[in-house]
Amino acid sequence: MTVVVNSRDDFTLENYRRVSWGGEPVAIGAQARRVMAKQRADFMRLLESDRTQFIYGVTSSFGPRARVTIPPEEQRAHAREFSFRGNWARGFGGGHLDERVVRGIVFARLANFVAGNSKARPVVAERVAALLGGPVPPVPLDGQVGAGEVLPLAHALAGLRNDDLEEGEANPIANGSPVSAALAADTALLAGDRLGHAGQVLALSVEAWQAPLDPYDEAVDELGGDDDEASARAALRGYLSGASPDGRRADRVPLCYLILASVLGQAHRAVAGVAEAARVSLRSVTDNPVYLPPDARHPLGRVASNGGFHNAMAYPALNALAAAWANLTVLAVQQVTELRALRPEVRAVAGPEPALGGLADEARAAALPTLLPAAVNDPQDDVSMPVFSAYRREAEAARCLDRAVGALAVAAGQALSAAGHRPAPPLAGLFESVATGRGRGQA
Amino acid sequence: MTVVVNTRDDFTLANFRRVSYNGEPVRLGDHARRVLAASDHRAAPESPSGDGARRDGQAADDAIAGRHLDERVVRGTVFACLAGWVTGETPVSLATAERATGLLDGPLPPVLPGGQAGVGEAACAAALAADTALQARHRLEHAEAVCALSIEAFGAPLGAYDQALDELWGDRHETAALEALRRHLDGAGSGDRRFHQPPVSYRIIPRVLGQAERAVAGVEKAAAVSLRSVTGDVLYLGGTAGGPAGRVLRTGGFYNGLAYPALNALSAGWADLALVAERQVTALNTAETSGLPVNLGVPGAARSGTYAYGWAASGYVEEARAAATPALLPAAVSDPHADALSPTLSAYRGQRRAAECLDGVLAILMIVSSQALFVTGRSPAEPLRPWLSFTRSVFPPIDGTGERDLSADGGRLQQALGAAALTGRLVDARAARA
Repeated sequence: MTVVVNSRDDFTLENYRRVSWGGEPVAIGAQARRVMAKQRADFMRLLESDRTQFIYGVTSSFGPRARVTIPPEEQRAHAREFSFRGNWARGFGGGHLDERVVRGIVFARLANFVAGNSKARPVVAERVAALLGGPVPPVPLDGQVGAGEVLPLAHALAGLRNDDLEEGEANPIANGSPVSAALAADTALLAGDRLGHAGQVLALSVEAWQAPLDPYDEAVDELGGDDDEASARAALRGYLSGASPDGRRADRVPLCYLILASVLGQAHRAVAGVAEAARVSLRSVTDNPVYLPPDARHPLGRVASNGGFHNAMAYPALNALAAAWANLTVLAVQQVTELRALRPEVRAVAGPEPALGGLADEARAAALPTLLPAAVNDPQDDVSMPVFSAYRREAEAARCLDRAVGALAVAAGQALSAAGHRPAPPLAGLFESVATGRGRGQA
Repeated sequence: MTVVVNTRDDFTLANFRRVSYNGEPVRLGDHARRVLAASDHRAAPESPSGDGARRDGQAADDAIAGRHLDERVVRGTVFACLAGWVTGETPVSLATAERATGLLDGPLPPVLPGGQAGVGEAACAAALAADTALQARHRLEHAEAVCALSIEAFGAPLGAYDQALDELWGDRHETAALEALRRHLDGAGSGDRRFHQPPVSYRIIPRVLGQAERAVAGVEKAAAVSLRSVTGDVLYLGGTAGGPAGRVLRTGGFYNGLAYPALNALSAGWADLALVAERQVTALNTAETSGLPVNLGVPGAARSGTYAYGWAASGYVEEARAAATPALLPAAVSDPHADALSPTLSAYRGQRRAAECLDGVLAILMIVSSQALFVTGRSPAEPLRPWLSFTRSVFPPIDGTGERDLSADGGRLQQALGAAALTGRLVDARAARA
């Protein structure tokens, strides 16, 4: 199938999944081509009305040389000088983004174009979309901090033909923040499944320790009053449906079982935050400068320099998710410890203590927030984007959580087997897979 | 006035402000008294281990004794405790609840925050979130005004704050920031502005303020939810939820997992905002960037002008970034049955420090913006003139006349911003004392 994009409303998380994960190609729809062609004509009328007016990147140079004027007769050549091909300095090292994420970046790039705010001809958008018909270039993980996202875009769009670009068509390729949108979307798609899996294993641990079910009671939802914690409790109740209330331990219940729903609620909130960041960012027009179509006060339209290239939503959401994963990792490790204390049989199979403790420390280190970089490259580009760091730290915290959850699954399975207990029916499949060793491979 | 509480719905941020900030007393309403009296016969049921009841008792004692926090937060903690009690679902008697409300009739001892994180502090977490929320909204509003003053001082083009961006970016928090900037810049002239685009720090400020707005909204939500939560460890359920005989539930409700992540996010938001404000200070001080006189100096005054304030701002930024280190669940376990302590107090302290540092940078941005307007003989947009007047009343422009303690003047401006976060009003402490 082909994903056809006609407006910004087509830049949904679901379409992102189809293009990024499903490898589907993208076509520019007829409506989008019409809008782009009209806006391009409108923009050219504005430009021709006064080729000495300031339009960043069109009648001016780029970046630190923004105040350098480009004479009218050189403006088309100026557009064609801009190229991600050949000798364009860019970052390197540290491994690479997964190809699916690079595809996502290219897809997110198109949101700028389809509503015409990019001021580019339809053919430019079609060329960007065509990049998704084949393999995309590797994008290194290191060296991607700069004002906006031009550095990673220099990699992702390196194959784009641009020797015939016209005035105003270079910026919509290099400017804006589609990388943040893609990194948030990629994380959002992974995070939901990760949270579900963690919740299932933590529920198995509740069964293994025979912890009381009160903290997950439906009545607590209203008393607590928080939607995310209620969602977490509902998920736990689903996994624990049919769990026997008999024989559960009520004495000296470790806090890591009592507060489980609350910590899972934090993770629900963080996952929702990343999904919201992805939803908003994917359909945003973040081009700089952005072309605003004609209105009563501006019959030729206008061009506004702005800070759309700085996505201030994605990296804080990724920070929050990394912190939530770290807290869940700590909780999972503590539950392994509790299960070991309960059942000597667990000690032999779930790995050495220091390794698990190390996971908690690594997760907490990964949860140190990514902030705006303190370093300044030049006085004009005086604030940089940290989204790559946030993405990598979230991924590291997630890796720690996955390992801790894997260890907990094994420990819980062993504790249940040693006690001769069966977990609640919804957990039977997980228990079987752990007991037969398939779960260990997943761990 | 007296705040009368009857149900959980009375535990709002507005009522928290009345009790905590304004010192108003609290009384149990008739409905609450009936509910508590009816539940007296089952007060203090022991959980099987008794741990939960002890935790709740300890929490109440801590709140009542006011061991760890300054007075308004202690008052707020006592107030927040009542939310769980008035429902009759916690093991608290009418007499205990009345004793607690009686404490709010008089002063409670102001105590600086300690380093303790512990169990049974959900009410305290609610109070910390509410205290932060009330100040954070004011602080954000002041930051928006200061950034707008800086935009005027730099003469940055207004396209970066255009109404069209609201829809194109599509985020309600960024829209709120854009709207605030436009309000402050209403009527701003176009004549003296730069023809080219300004540094990144001026163009992205709506998005960075939007980030802060999102964090403030997060703390407000955490406070609103937490204040009205029933957070006892051991709860008694009657009615439909509890069945004919009622039920005792041990819930883990002493742990607030909502407040500290929100406080963490706010600290990071302040740190990032401080950094962007510092970049604007540098831009204004740098003649090659701003086109303004070197170091914003005037003939006859020290050539260094406001240059060194850029360094001072960098110091605040570094401190704010350090304060933004998040509070997480502690990895160390001292007691297997208290193996996941609440980090809310640590998050609260970090947020306070980050906010203090932001105030420092904003004070410097006010000084430098005022100086930039002074040396070029310009006035800002009409809505910003009271801000400029206030700035100059505390920190007159450096005009080369007289000998001044520029450090003390800057400190007063920072203190004024801190006090304004509490009250919503900018007042020079020295003038107020006079």
